[in-house]
Amino acid sequence: MAFTSLYFLIFAIICVALYYFVPQNWRWVVLLAASYAFYLLSSPKTFVFILLTTAVTYLGGRYIGSCNAQHTAYIDAHKAELSREEKKEIKASSQKKKRKMVALILVLDFGILAVLKYFRYYLQAAGLFDTGELLIPLGISFYTFQSAAYIFDLYRNKIEPDTNVAKFALFTAFFPQIVQGPISRYDQLAHQLYEGHSFQFRNLTHGAQLMLWGFFKKLVIADRIDILCDQVFDNYTDYTGGAVFVALLFYTIQIYADFSGGIDIARGIAQCMGIEMTHNFRRPYFSHDLSEFWNRWHISLSHWCRDYIFYPVAMSKFFGKAGKSLRNVFGDRIGKLFPVIIAQYCTFITIGLWHGAAFKYVAYGLYNGTVIVLGLLFEPLLRGILEKLHINASSRAWKGFQIVRTFFIVVCGRAFPRAASFGVAVTMFFSMFRLNHGVPFLETVMNLGLTPLDFLIIGGCCIIWLLISIYEERDARINGGDGSKAFREMMDRLPLPARWAILLAGFGLVLMLGIYGPGYDAAAFIYRGF
Amino acid sequence: MRETVLEILTGIRGDVDFENETKLIDDNILASLDIVAIVGEFNDEFDVEISVEDLVPENFNSVDAMVELITRAQE
Repeated sequence: MAFTSLYFLIFAIICVALYYFVPQNWRWVVLLAASYAFYLLSSPKTFVFILLTTAVTYLGGRYIGSCNAQHTAYIDAHKAELSREEKKEIKASSQKKKRKMVALILVLDFGILAVLKYFRYYLQAAGLFDTGELLIPLGISFYTFQSAAYIFDLYRNKIEPDTNVAKFALFTAFFPQIVQGPISRYDQLAHQLYEGHSFQFRNLTHGAQLMLWGFFKKLVIADRIDILCDQVFDNYTDYTGGAVFVALLFYTIQIYADFSGGIDIARGIAQCMGIEMTHNFRRPYFSHDLSEFWNRWHISLSHWCRDYIFYPVAMSKFFGKAGKSLRNVFGDRIGKLFPVIIAQYCTFITIGLWHGAAFKYVAYGLYNGTVIVLGLLFEPLLRGILEKLHINASSRAWKGFQIVRTFFIVVCGRAFPRAASFGVAVTMFFSMFRLNHGVPFLETVMNLGLTPLDFLIIGGCCIIWLLISIYEERDARINGGDGSKAFREMMDRLPLPARWAILLAGFGLVLMLGIYGPGYDAAAFIYRGF
Repeated sequence: MRETVLEILTGIRGDVDFENETKLIDDNILASLDIVAIVGEFNDEFDVEISVEDLVPENFNSVDAMVELITRAQE
């Protein structure tokens, strides 16, 4: 059941209505029933796998929680008589016990993910496992990563274990997030799901506005651009020069409109019920460097990688020691950077693999990791050049240049995940620098499947999007926070007729300009495939 | 200790007003690379072991929170 289908809208409306209809204590039951109903309607054959991950994570979590409780109770009871060293020893022995359980749960949870998503074709080819009839479970990467975060947070004693398996099942399967995230953290989401929220008109309007904005980005912008991207990427040998760059540029806009549109729809539904899901985007194309970009793009995944891969690797004793011994050979700076460089590559290879098993995804990770590492290594050199050229690094012009530079790096990198293979991505990248002989550039672009009106619609809608983004960015700079609610709060302050005029205009735009495809079936969300 | 912490912080990020900022993480002022550098310096300077478990926003949102974290790690 796609987010953009009429069935889903009816499903969501019934769910929200039922949520407020039942007594407050039972509202989480409505959410669980709706989430499992959604899963069974969307991916019935793979339902068993989400049940399995839920059960394994829940039981393992209870065990880790009991280890934490025992450890805390012992330390509290013997606080006075224990030395600092003894406390450390006791902690180490408790962690050893927990680590075994963490390893077991991760092997089981990620094992299911690996078999069904990554190794299915190899296993089938080797005749070891018949995955022919088996689909990849809906949202498997999202709920597996979310479950792993729960286990890591328990291991770090940051949260208490869930003691109600049905409630935990809701946390794992909450239907707005199952299609394409965000990957929520237990301490941020679970309590919001479990406590019944009382009806507030503001939640309903803000949620509906966010959904409308998501539909606008997905149906009007992303699905329209899809036509152009398909034409170039499916026939890449026919195009060179500017046409390839235009395709990459449009894909960069499409993936953002598609993914952030889907996330807005998900967050909007949740908000209608008073549930605030974590953000996944913070105007990423305004980033000044690639590190900042990954702090603004698919935030829930990049923060997952930061907390559970980057920090543990960068701060590990092993790489710390290795860095210290390298200081003698390569100097202090490189020695200090060494653990960070290793951690960057581990993080970006994971981000690459998260998208799929093909080498093009690993290449995508390596591309991003390498650009960031090169930036770190050459930072003093760049600073020196700026000083020599008397360029003020805090000037608006330099900051503007940084934004354009980062955007260009992102556009080039998009070739890897979108092209059919790593080889195709490389071919397309180099063909960008070959001249398009014969046919004028404009004529080529006008023959990529879109009419002049389509270009006009895309341009106009992107300008609206850009202006709203600038407004939000400005609000974040002045008032702090992420600025994501700034526009909706501004709308609240408008007179009622103006507010309704904007909403109706948005609704009309989606209805009239949305690309609904044959049989009114919108193109599937790109990130649903991950 | 507060003065040393401030010195370390301005050495790593000279462009940030550490004296007045109280949402260094929440407002995305410090990035993960900064945090790793800060923790490395704290561990060396104050002979403590700040671990991954300590890397939560509450411990790094302000200078005072960081001083408190170091004090706890020394106990």
